[in-house]
Amino acid sequence: MNRKSMWGFLFAMSMSALALSVCAQSTSPAKPKPPAIEVKMIQAGEVALPGEFQVALYEDLIQEFEREGAYREVYRDGDRDTDKASDVISLYTTVTKFNHGSELERDVITVGGATSITVHCQFKAKDGAVLLERDIQGKVRLIGGNLKATDDFAKRAAKITPESFSSGAGSSSARGARGGM
Amino acid sequence: MTLQTSRWTLPIIILLAASLSSADAAQQAAISTDAVHVIGMATLKNNVKGKLTITNGALTFTSEKNSATVSIVCIEDVITARDSQRVVDGPVGTISRLAPYGGGTAISLMRKKIDILTIKYRDLNGGLHGAIFTMHPAEADALKQALLAEGAHTSVPAAVGVNSTVASQSEAKEQVR
Repeated sequence: MNRKSMWGFLFAMSMSALALSVCAQSTSPAKPKPPAIEVKMIQAGEVALPGEFQVALYEDLIQEFEREGAYREVYRDGDRDTDKASDVISLYTTVTKFNHGSELERDVITVGGATSITVHCQFKAKDGAVLLERDIQGKVRLIGGNLKATDDFAKRAAKITPESFSSGAGSSSARGARGGM
Repeated sequence: MTLQTSRWTLPIIILLAASLSSADAAQQAAISTDAVHVIGMATLKNNVKGKLTITNGALTFTSEKNSATVSIVCIEDVITARDSQRVVDGPVGTISRLAPYGGGTAISLMRKKIDILTIKYRDLNGGLHGAIFTMHPAEADALKQALLAEGAHTSVPAAVGVNSTVASQSEAKEQVR
């Protein structure tokens, strides 16, 4: 085999390898679409939660989920499109602890006056099966108004992506995982 | 001819008076106040200053760049509360904390009272929204009354409810300290 034909052979081999890899990529299973999420209005439970905190928690959650983009769509509580959509996870939240701190106290004595909220979050499939359960806390210790605690909670909650669920979103046999953040 | 003229004069006067009084009532119904949109209204950024107006059965927030409107009949809940906030806030307020010889703490003590107006409403698709506005003291209650008069609902009908009690308690706590 002369040098010219050897180069030709090498070229043909590399081209076929390239074609094979392209074929392999195209035949690999497509990435499944992420589920949509429906955020239910925050329930105050037995805690005396001011209305502005309830609304701020809800709106911050929606904004953070939209910003993270981990879910196909973010639906609001009561949105009629949720019924039409398939593969929707509903997020139910109940406030379990609330400490209304003081911004002035935080400013002046630094170590006190923290505002903190603990919210019990349940991610449920359409059939009602609990996919994930977590207690998530939001707090403001130093700088910012009291409502900043809701933003802190929402940022932590939005880190729970579809990958966080142990099994498929629509699966009724999904076992709930419980933990704290 | 004189009889015909007199026959038409009275209805015309009544119509004119009615139109004038309705225009006057519409002008009276329009309530406007300076406010800060904290969160919630679609198309508006968080913590943006603007004007909150109630007119023609709608609640409108207008900022320098944008505006958003909610039909008052879609409002399911109106809640008011009171709080206080730093006079010097934002990035300047944060930097001012570093002022030497307790200057930062002194600036923190300079606080202003604010009213908080919280609303919950449904969009055309049934989706639940919430929005929070802050404004000068005693303005939230007037806005709430105007909203209720135009068909909004509230879970706290009395001036002093659970939420305002919690807020006033925290405010009192701040004043004591």
